[in-house]
Amino acid sequence: MASAETNVNLSASPASAAQGLLVSLPPLPQEAFELAVGNLALAFPGEPVLVATPDTSSQSSGSPLRLLSYNPTTVSATPWILTAADYLNAYKIAQDNQATACLVLGAEAQSLSPEAIRALAMSALQSDLTVARYDLGPREGLVNAAILYPVTRALFGTRPRFPLAIDVGLSLKMAGRLAAAAQRFTSAGQNDALLWPLNEAASANCTIAEIPVTPRAFPHPTSSDLNAVLAQVAGSLFADVDAKASYWQRARGTQPQPSIPTSTPVAESPADIASMLDAFRLAYSNLHEIWSLVLPPNSLLGLKKLSVMSPETFRMPDNLWVRIIYDFTLAYRLRTINRGHLMGALTPLYLAWTASHLTLISNGTPPEKHIQDLAAAFEADKPYLVSRWRWPDRFNP
Amino acid sequence: MWQQVELALGQSTHRVLVKLASFLPALVALLLAVIILALIGAALAALLRRTLTAAKFDERLAHNSIAPISDWSPANSPTALISRVVFWGCVLIGCFIGISAFDAAYPGDAQISVYVFPYITHAIGAVLLLIAGTVIARFLERSILIGAVNAKLQYARMLSIGIKWLVLVLTAAMVLDHLQIGGGVVELAFGILFGGIVLTLALAVGLGSRDIVSRSLERSASTLDPIPGDPDYKSPTHTETLRHF
Repeated sequence: MASAETNVNLSASPASAAQGLLVSLPPLPQEAFELAVGNLALAFPGEPVLVATPDTSSQSSGSPLRLLSYNPTTVSATPWILTAADYLNAYKIAQDNQATACLVLGAEAQSLSPEAIRALAMSALQSDLTVARYDLGPREGLVNAAILYPVTRALFGTRPRFPLAIDVGLSLKMAGRLAAAAQRFTSAGQNDALLWPLNEAASANCTIAEIPVTPRAFPHPTSSDLNAVLAQVAGSLFADVDAKASYWQRARGTQPQPSIPTSTPVAESPADIASMLDAFRLAYSNLHEIWSLVLPPNSLLGLKKLSVMSPETFRMPDNLWVRIIYDFTLAYRLRTINRGHLMGALTPLYLAWTASHLTLISNGTPPEKHIQDLAAAFEADKPYLVSRWRWPDRFNP
Repeated sequence: MWQQVELALGQSTHRVLVKLASFLPALVALLLAVIILALIGAALAALLRRTLTAAKFDERLAHNSIAPISDWSPANSPTALISRVVFWGCVLIGCFIGISAFDAAYPGDAQISVYVFPYITHAIGAVLLLIAGTVIARFLERSILIGAVNAKLQYARMLSIGIKWLVLVLTAAMVLDHLQIGGGVVELAFGILFGGIVLTLALAVGLGSRDIVSRSLERSASTLDPIPGDPDYKSPTHTETLRHF
């Protein structure tokens, strides 16, 4: 199992700290670029850090950093998240410049504080994979809370809270591994394919670290259509789970329960969940036949009960959501229905979970506690997925 | 006179029996050809299936191929698709051989194969058209149903069923035309039916459901997240806006 650590030795001497480090910046406007370079200069005072940027016109006045402009060999059309093209470009530059570690920063990188950048860099020089941990509000990062984090933690035994972090630190070995995975997509013209660094690191038994990064501004998805973005992200995760089935089916120890922040939960004003409930009920009446191709009778019964619940008491049990995600993962693998249709049918169920989650936190439950309980439920029900994966025709409760 | 009646009946019966006797071998030859080729096809299909399964053909194709061939394969297995193609190909060859054998065995002057072969190819084309049309109709129905539900359109099911029947009607008309059945009657009926369905949908959506459509569109527009740069875009606050990503 990949080891995970959250304490990073920041006391490395400045002279050796940034030796062989490459920082890869995304395309930024001139003003943001100068701000980013300024933060990097503060993070690495007087250190010969190589900073790569695809903006050939970007110039920074008086910066001590080594700026390298390059023409990316593969271009991503999805700038809000790191894609296969980004990992491939970063590895090529690192390899060409004999870098030993690479820090890949995502969109809005100028909002990162110098302390956070340095912490990520120091960790990248010590661990194979370093991912950022963000401090999000209770109504942010909901897809990560509902699907990405619990599934990655349950199946791959990884602790980091954000499997699809947009700021990652990579050793050259890890960067090469991700580049090899990216090459399979870019050679087929899929430059915007998503990679899952945590899953790759876990299956390769690499060391993983997690660094808190606050504050940070987050980019918005290119498309405002929840259905399309959810299909892209969740579909990519399901495909990765399918590809690494031989790894996660082997028994793994459960993760130690991470400490939950003890701050007093602020009672959130009730979110407007009416539109989400309407969408779920409309989907229940119209998509029930499609859901019945994917979900077993127990889950359909649970959804039926949900469809008649009042908004005030709307609560999707954690085990129901776990079964839904696991069954959709299996249906993705078996191609029970067209994959595009499958992901489209998942969207209303995700909205139902979101409505349930928001109702719960508006009643005083700490959001992080609910998310951790959900992740524990995913871990506890992993044998269900393993059984159905191995015997899809025989085991169908 | 009765003798002539007896003679006529006897001669006609004899003629029919002779024709039947000469027809039966041809029919047996036809059936034998189809059955033997079907058995050969089944054996080939089974052998191919075993070979491809042993070579993990499905897994290799799924791993290396980006083309969604598995989406179109029965039970999502390219191996099953190939084996079924081989089997039905052999059955088809058996039909052609059988018809040629029938032609050769039948002592009549008329060359039946000259008339039957083109019609069989048309029939095969019609069957393929029917299969393709049915698959496309089901696919479109499901795509539109899911898309309309996610767009929160209340008339999603009606829309999807309407589209499905449009495609099925079009397919049926193409199949009948391909089989040269009905001629102008089919074309006219199709035109009337298709135009009627389209007009009905347009009237229902455009006039009868005017309020519903405008409410659905207003609801959809209000739930869309404006992107930065849009005049309606407001910086989100954590108490107002959900961030799914």
